[in-house]
Amino acid sequence: MRRMMRPRRWSGNDGGADVAFAAGAPSPLGMVSRTGTCIVVGASSGIGLALARRLAIAGRKVALVARRERELAAMAAQIDDALGRPAAVAYVHDVAAADDAEPLFARIEQELGPVDELHFVAGVMPDVALDEFDLAKDRLQVQVNLLGCIAWGNAAARRFLQRKAGCIVGVSSVAQDRGRVGRPVYNASKAGMDTYLEALRNRLWRHGVRVTTIRPGFVETPMTAGLQLKGAISADQAAAKILRARDAEKAIAYVPWKWRPIMFVIRSLPSFLFRRLSI
Amino acid sequence: MTTMEAPVWRDEDVRGFGMAVGGRARVLRPTNSEQVAAAFAEVRAAGGSIALRGAGCSYGDAATAVGGSVLDLSAMNRIHDFDPATGIAVCEPGVTVRDLWRRSIGYGYWPKVVSGTMAVSMGGAASMNIHGKNNFALGSFGECVEWFDLMLPRGESVRCSRESDPELFHAAISGFGMLGCFTRLAIRTKRVHSGRLRVWGIVAKDLAHNLQILEDLRGKADYLVSWLDLHGKGAGLGRGLMHRADQMQPGEDPEGLRFFEPALQDVPTTLFGVVPKGWLWPGMWCAVHMRQVALVNWLKFRAGYREERQSPYLQTHGAFHFLLDYVPRWHWMTRPGGLIQFQPFVPAAQGERVLRTLIERCQQTGFVPYLGVLKRHRPDPFLMTHAVDGYSLAMDFAVSANQKRRQALWRFCQELADLVLEAGGRFYYAKDAVLLQSSFGRVHGEPAAARFRALKQRCDPDRILQTDLSRRLGV
Repeated sequence: MRRMMRPRRWSGNDGGADVAFAAGAPSPLGMVSRTGTCIVVGASSGIGLALARRLAIAGRKVALVARRERELAAMAAQIDDALGRPAAVAYVHDVAAADDAEPLFARIEQELGPVDELHFVAGVMPDVALDEFDLAKDRLQVQVNLLGCIAWGNAAARRFLQRKAGCIVGVSSVAQDRGRVGRPVYNASKAGMDTYLEALRNRLWRHGVRVTTIRPGFVETPMTAGLQLKGAISADQAAAKILRARDAEKAIAYVPWKWRPIMFVIRSLPSFLFRRLSI
Repeated sequence: MTTMEAPVWRDEDVRGFGMAVGGRARVLRPTNSEQVAAAFAEVRAAGGSIALRGAGCSYGDAATAVGGSVLDLSAMNRIHDFDPATGIAVCEPGVTVRDLWRRSIGYGYWPKVVSGTMAVSMGGAASMNIHGKNNFALGSFGECVEWFDLMLPRGESVRCSRESDPELFHAAISGFGMLGCFTRLAIRTKRVHSGRLRVWGIVAKDLAHNLQILEDLRGKADYLVSWLDLHGKGAGLGRGLMHRADQMQPGEDPEGLRFFEPALQDVPTTLFGVVPKGWLWPGMWCAVHMRQVALVNWLKFRAGYREERQSPYLQTHGAFHFLLDYVPRWHWMTRPGGLIQFQPFVPAAQGERVLRTLIERCQQTGFVPYLGVLKRHRPDPFLMTHAVDGYSLAMDFAVSANQKRRQALWRFCQELADLVLEAGGRFYYAKDAVLLQSSFGRVHGEPAAARFRALKQRCDPDRILQTDLSRRLGV
């Protein structure tokens, strides 16, 4: 019952014929879309930017949070320009500075109104050689991928729990499913993030707050620009699937779905076999 | 991909985009300007010459040197900066149109002038002063160059802008690689308010109708280009399908915001979502070699009516502009002889008469182009410009592997060139493969040709920059 009564909105489809509903307007099924502000952390490029664009097209007010000031300001200006109305506001923030998340969340609510949706998409994946054990690179990955998610997740959860509404979407990775030779700390940081989101979901669901974990496979983004990813989907396609998973209130969504069976197989490989593989 | 190691000379087959001209040459791919200077010094010391080459998208011999040396700039392919406030990109010469728009579109900018293929390099685009489907409105590529660094053949690098050295600026751009090597260029792109264009297909029943549409829409449309069925005779002579595209205003296409993502701008790689387009060229080869080109053109013309009924429609910038990239390796359909493109530029007052004569002569002689493309142009300030206040008709001829037939095609094109030059027309070195030495002065006017030769003497007194084109034209 609660599920039926919860506010919903529509993210449209992949085919370019999306129907955007003004914030607060009823959708074709008679449900009312969310009206609050969305925060997208990691919004200056890749999946975060694609999500921010789709949310803005759908009539939402979007706070773009990212580190690179020039890119972020340009993206916010571009969204406003293309839509012909103010829809996006840039907030420069280094996710590695976890202590700044809470005050920035408060500032965004003060300036743009109550937030009812958080998308945490920030992530770093530095190149790591097979014989490299560089603590500086490892620390950065933990700070951004894990601690950043915790800082922003806590800030949102505290408020959403009080209001008994809201949704949190965290973009983890298929890389979290196994510890692999190529990127030990990327795997570990994403696994930590994934487990944190699961705990948050379990803690908040009984209060009407939804937490969705996204595990993307190959997506064409600046972070993966140097990699040869066969069958990669575009960031916009990934964003569409993420918003569909959010609307379906999924706990965990592989993006695209084919990664669920693939990762099932990879997770099922016994360690004595997996360590012999170079995947 | 660049490397810090010194490049090595390689013996390669270096051909024009149309594959009909070119041959073996020694090729060097520098990765920075010091290596360009070193190559110039090496060639000068040996008393030889070298041809500059970008992405090799000139149809003819503008970037070939049969039996000689070629400096291929494609490995100097870094975009040093893109300023989202101004839309100015600072690029190395090997940066392609694709590299540029992939960098700029995310910020809501699109190159002002793009070619029909996105493989063209910035250095090549500036050397040839290329144009796009908006030449009548925004002019040529050179008009969006803010400044450039030019490595002169004696190893001196000069930064040049319209203000600092107007003569060199307006001659190096359009100077088909005769004065020096671009090592860095600042290119201004334009703001776009959507990742899509609004596109109309308009059926033109004959040549006069085509020209009338160009005149009626000039000043209203942002892009205009007409495909011509050059097999149409009588009342259908010069029939075709005009495409008009307009940019969106802010707020006009909110959904277009999504299409600022580069991955959504690339042309589709499959037909109907299934068939890889890389497999299509053998079918096209059959059409060319089984003499079914007239039928294919007629079918395409008839399909234009359907497109007209469905107009306007929305199309991404990439899908609208880069028709030559729709079918990978499409030019292989003309194997083994390859193809040449003959593109005369004719003043508007003489336009209909000259173009009609050219098409009729093609049909009379049996050398009928498999493709014709009509565009509107305006003059620009560059010394070796091809632009006129008038029209151009690009005609693609499949070249026979039979030497007699091939020579006959060359003679025929030279005969057509005479008609064009008599009418005050011009030619475009990114396309040309047939002009004679005697034509150079007639294309540009003797005073301009003399000024260019004087500049060549000033910048390259040892005459180390030579291509098959420059030797053919006696520059």
